[in-house]
Parts: sequence; structure tokens; C-alpha cells
Amino acid sequence: MMRNNFFRDNAALLGVVVILAVLGVVGYTSMGQTAFVRTTLSGLTLGALFFMVAAGLTLIFGLMDVLNFAHGAMFMLGAYLGWQFFTNPTFLFGLAPLILALLAPLFGWLFARLEIPEALQKSAPSLLGLAGVVVVFLAVRGLDILDLAKTAMVATMTAADPLAEATPQEALSIFWLRTAGMFIAGALLAMATSRPGDKTRTVHTDQVRRALIGAGVLLVFTIVATLFREAAPRAVLLWDANLRFFAALLVGALLGAGIGGAIEVTLIRPLYVRPIYQVIVTLGLAYVLREVIQLLWQPLAYQMSRPPLFSQPGKAENIFEWFRTNSVTVDVLGVTFPSYRLFIILLGVLMLVALALLMNYTRLGMIIRAGVQDRQMVEALGINVQRVFTLVFMLGAGLAALGGIGAAPFIPVQPNMGDAFQLQAFIVVVIGGMGSYGGAAIGALLLGLARAFGDYLALKYSLSPAIAEASTVIIMAIVLLVRPAGLFGRKE
Amino acid sequence: MGNDNILEVESIHTFIGQFHILEGVSLQVPRSSITVLLGRNGAGKTTTLKSILGLTPPRHGVVRFDGQEIQGKPAYEIAAMGIGYVPEHRAIFRNLSVAENLKIAERKKGDLDRKADFIFSLFPDLKRLYRLPGNHLSGGQQQMLAVARALVADNQLLLIDEPSEGLAPILIEQMMETIRNLSATTTVLLVEQNFIMASQLAENYYILDDGKTVHQGKMADLVQDKELIHRMLGTAVRSGGAG
Ligand SMILES: Nc1ncnc2c1ncn2[C@@H]1O[C@H](COP(=O)(O)OP(=O)(O)OP(=O)(O)O)[C@@H](O)[C@H]1O
Ligand SMILES: [Mg+2]
Repeated sequence: MMRNNFFRDNAALLGVVVILAVLGVVGYTSMGQTAFVRTTLSGLTLGALFFMVAAGLTLIFGLMDVLNFAHGAMFMLGAYLGWQFFTNPTFLFGLAPLILALLAPLFGWLFARLEIPEALQKSAPSLLGLAGVVVVFLAVRGLDILDLAKTAMVATMTAADPLAEATPQEALSIFWLRTAGMFIAGALLAMATSRPGDKTRTVHTDQVRRALIGAGVLLVFTIVATLFREAAPRAVLLWDANLRFFAALLVGALLGAGIGGAIEVTLIRPLYVRPIYQVIVTLGLAYVLREVIQLLWQPLAYQMSRPPLFSQPGKAENIFEWFRTNSVTVDVLGVTFPSYRLFIILLGVLMLVALALLMNYTRLGMIIRAGVQDRQMVEALGINVQRVFTLVFMLGAGLAALGGIGAAPFIPVQPNMGDAFQLQAFIVVVIGGMGSYGGAAIGALLLGLARAFGDYLALKYSLSPAIAEASTVIIMAIVLLVRPAGLFGRKE
Repeated sequence: MGNDNILEVESIHTFIGQFHILEGVSLQVPRSSITVLLGRNGAGKTTTLKSILGLTPPRHGVVRFDGQEIQGKPAYEIAAMGIGYVPEHRAIFRNLSVAENLKIAERKKGDLDRKADFIFSLFPDLKRLYRLPGNHLSGGQQQMLAVARALVADNQLLLIDEPSEGLAPILIEQMMETIRNLSATTTVLLVEQNFIMASQLAENYYILDDGKTVHQGKMADLVQDKELIHRMLGTAVRSGGAG
């Protein structure tokens, strides 16, 4: 009986594997090894990128019923943020104090709700005082402790990227005033909103104190960020470029998650009772984000250079040799393939594994899986589903942003770079079944391969390249005919 | 007054979309007892439970739990105050294993470990099925899991919606026994169409009709009043009256 269940439960997966195996054998024999391997690897690269966008999309839709049309914009945003951090983080660090200042109300509000241990509340004033002293010391001493300023220009020149030059910043004095002004406004807002939701209760002094602690902590952060505004980007540019690249992946993903969280809390959350408006809001947001990006970076296409780890001249005979040579291409089964693209495939696989671990072995994952099926019941168990929504939105946005940075070194960084990926990701979600990250992985794999082999066929028989794009829609149609809920969707 | 009643509902009005579903429901649930909500299909019994929990928050009226007003609070806060919910139609998480279905109901770390023995003593079957996915359970087993899930956290009040629905007679007996046992430690507000079950378990009853509470009293008195039973509960109860 258990065995029967195994085949029935995994029918979709087995079906896909069998079809892929058959097509693989046909392709291998008709195309020859070189063309087949090259096309397959291209397909896997594309599939990995599709998956990074689709994974968040499917979870957000499955759990929250939100069709997030701003997901491609998160991909684009991630690419810009990561690329900026990698090539010239001046701008990002310059923005940090302003953003921190803007966060003052949020931080105060958060702290008013948090349970802060009694002991910490008691010692908070002295801790903040100490932090203040440190900040003042840094300010007086000047932050250029490592004498970074002098070496900074050298570093930016050797980065050999036309954009990597220390762009002039606004005078610190003016910047200070602006940051301080925003912060005070924010702190006032924080106190205004520290009242708990229940209108029958008055503000507890305890809550005001906590909100103030929150604002105080943030004030220290803001001051430090302001002081670091000039030294930090220089320091980052002095890092090893590989380290900087991986840091860029992390920074981009975290910033993407943060922006996603802010979007969910401010724009999506008030509209759960009006799902249509949510769709309109995300559509509008996609345009706004794109316009903002164009404003900040001009409507140009940029190219992010690959980190040295994947860009040494020459070709490695195999993966192991690549570890030593870090060459730009690797020989895989007789095919010369860019090593960076192999890294993207690895990144996609790692993400799938991480997501599978999160979904199957953590409480958050359990709540998400349960919530995809029955949100109300999860809430009826005493779980704050709203908070889980925010986390999932952050997770999805972070993954999309990570995909964006991953893609930046081999597709142009430009304002509309996310659109095509968003469209494909929606198709992936439909194929895989709403709410199933495993389905998204399979769907992304299918679409990536379809695109790659479609392109190959179009080139070989000099057909229109539109055939590759059409093939993804055809796959979707076939899957929906066989399984209306998608490969791993559940019939309700 | 707030002391003997764990739950007090005062003329709540609930809207779903633009539909006015509850038009004044009032209830009082005394501590450590079983109170049953009766009424025809569509009378608003399920909506009443959901309104108490805040899943469909009432627009007007007062809900007091343990002396505290809870209407308007988010559902998760209300539930976390100590209310367990067993929804109708055995709504367990079908894509989660039995273990996970119980684990997810923990409100404090270790809740399940502390309650496991108690839960398995009520539902020995669940021990055997512990690792299976929820959708492999039979209907009766799913119903048991739904009840068990509400017992994991420390709840003072259980809202149980039609536990006998679709169960074989022998299982209904078992379920009755279980609920009776539970009522020794927790208060139960039960929605039940099976009048035999309702009449044997409950001390107090409320009858809903068209979104309003129309009758209330001691179960012992209702059992005598065949005419009222027939008028208010109609065919759904005739089989019960015969038994
Ligand atoms: N989502 C909804 N939209 C519109 N009407 C609804 C919705 N949910 C319930 N109703 C209506 O509210 C009324 C009360 O429903 P409710 O589920 O509370 O009844 P019930 O007494 O539990 O019935 P049953 O015994 O069949 O479970 C019904 O007339 C139903 O049609
Ligand atoms: Mg009902």
C-alpha cells in the first residue's frame, strides 16, 4: 500500500523525469554531445535564475493570495544594489543614514511591542550613554582611523571600472542637518504611534520608554552611519574583490528583503480585504521602482564585471583545475562553458536546498506549509499569520534580489531587466502549482531547458527566435490540460 | 457574574461581505460545563464560533472571555488567550504529517511533549499514525486529529464544530466519551446537529435561527419539549427524537 502511494503521490515528478529522460536521449543522439551539453548547461543557468524569481512568487501567492507584479522589480533592484555595492558602494553608504533616519518610526513602533527583559530596560540608558560617548569619540577623532582616505583613490582607480570613482558627496554639515531633521520627525512619529492598537487602552509609560529606547538605538546607528558615510565605501573597495562580490550577494539579498518587508507592511497589508487593489498596487509599484531607478542611475544599461574568481584568462580542463586557476571558462564534458554560469547553477541548487530545509525542518516552514492550505486555521491556533506574511514577502523579495545580482554579471543591468524574468516566473508558478516551491523548481528547470533548446533549434533551422519564447507558453498549456492545478498544485 | 461564565456574548452582529449573517446572538457559557449550540443548517452556528474567535469579527456587540472584552482583537491574540478551535469538516492540515499537525499547535515550547501522553490516551490511534501525512488518514482519524490539535496548547475553552459529522455510530460514541472527559478540565462550547449526542452531553443549550438566538435553557428541559425541538430543529433532529 505504501508503495502504491509512492507512485501516485509522485506521479507528476516521475512523469517529468521520464519525459526529460526521453527527450534527453533523443536530443543527445540527434544533436551530438557538444551541442547537447552546451544547450543543457545554458538551460540550467536560465532555469536557476527563473527559480530564484519564481520561488518567492509562488510562496507569496500560495500563502497570501497576492499576485506580486513587483517581483521582477525586486530582481532588478537586487541587481542594481549588488552591482553598486560591488563596483562603487559610495552611493549606498551615502543613503544609509537617511534611510535609517526614516526608519525611526518603524523602530519605535517595533520596540513598543517587543518584550524587552527588565534588566536590559534598566541598563538601556547607560548603554545608550556609552554608545553616545563612543560615537562622539569617533566623531572627534575622525573616522579615518586606518588612513583609508589616502589609499581610497588608488583603490578605485585599480578597480578599473569607469563607474568606480569616488563620486562627490554633499558637504557633511548639510547632510547632518537633513538626517537630524528626518530623525526628529521620525522619533515624533514613533511616539505618536506607540499607542497599542486597542483604543480603549491609554499609552503605558512603559511603552513610551520602550519606543524611546528603540529610537535611541537607531539614533546611534544613524550617527555611526553618517560618520562612516565616506570611510566605509573606501574600506569596502579595498577588500578583496571576491570577498566584495560575495558580500554584494548578501547585501543585495538583505536589502531586497528589507525593501520587500517595507512594501508588505506599508502597501500590501492594508489591502488584504481588497485583493484587486493589491494587484494594482504591485503593478503600480513596479513602474514607480523602475522610474526611481532611472532617476538615480539614468536609463542606461550597465555591465557588472565578474569577480576575479570567475574571470582569469584561460580555460580550466575540469572543475578541479578551475579551483586552482579561477579561469573564465571550464571544460565540461568537452564543452567550453563560462565558469560564472556554473556558479549560477550552483547558486540555484543551493537555494533550493536551503528552501527545502527551511520549509521542512523549521517551525516557520511548517507554518507556511499549513498556511498555504488553510490560513484561517493557522490563525485560530494562535499564530500571527500577518507576521508570517511579512517574513515570506521578505524571503521572496530577498531571493528575487539575489537572483538579480547573480544575473548582473552576464545580462545588462537596466531598469526593465526584471520584466522578462517576471513573466517567465509567472509561467513557472502556474506550471509548478501555486504555493509549491518544489513545483517552482521543476517548472523553472523545464522552462530554462525549453528556452535553451528552443534557441538552439531556432538557430539551427533559421527559425524565428520567438519559437523559444512560445515554447514556454506551449508547455504551460500542456501541463494545464493534463493537470489543471499545475504539476504540484493541490486540487481544492 | 464574570466569574462563573468563561464566555459571554452580547448581541453580536456579524457581516460577511455585505451579508448580515448574525443579527444579534447572545450566549453565556458557564465554566466547566458543556454548552451546545443548536439550529438548522445555515442558522449561523459556525459563524458564531468564528465571530467569537475573531475569524469573522463581529461589527457590533461584545464578546467577553474570562471577563475581558475580546471583540475586535486579531484572531491569533484571541486564540492565544486560551481558546482551542475544532473547525467543521475536519479541517486538519492535510499536507502536514500527524506529528506536525500537533506540533504546529504549540504555543510554548514543549507543549506537545507535556500533552502527548494525555492526547494518546484519548486517541491511541494517533500514536500509530504519527508519521503519516494528514491526507492518508481516514475521515474519523482526521476528526480525532482535529480535536487532538486543539488540546496541545493549554486552552480554557474549546469551540468544537460538529464533531460527529460523518462519523460511524461507534465513533460517535467514542467522540462523546472523549468530549465528556475533556469537559472535566476545560469548558466546551459545542455545535452539534446530532441531537442524541447533544442532549446527552450538554447541560445548557442555545438555539439559533436566522442568525439570532431564539431559545435557551437547560438541556434537561429541552428534552421534554418535543414540540419545540421539532419546530426549531426540524428534520435534522427527528432521528434524534426517535432515539
Ligand atoms: N463566506 C460566506 N459568504 C456568504 N454567506 C455566507 C458565507 N459563509 C456563511 N454564509 C452564510 O451564513 C449563514 C450561516 O452560515 P453558517 O456556516 O454559520 O451556518 P451553520 O449554522 O454552521 O450551518 P451548518 O449546520 O450547515 O454548518 C448561511 O446562510 C450561509 O449561507
Ligand atoms: Mg456549520
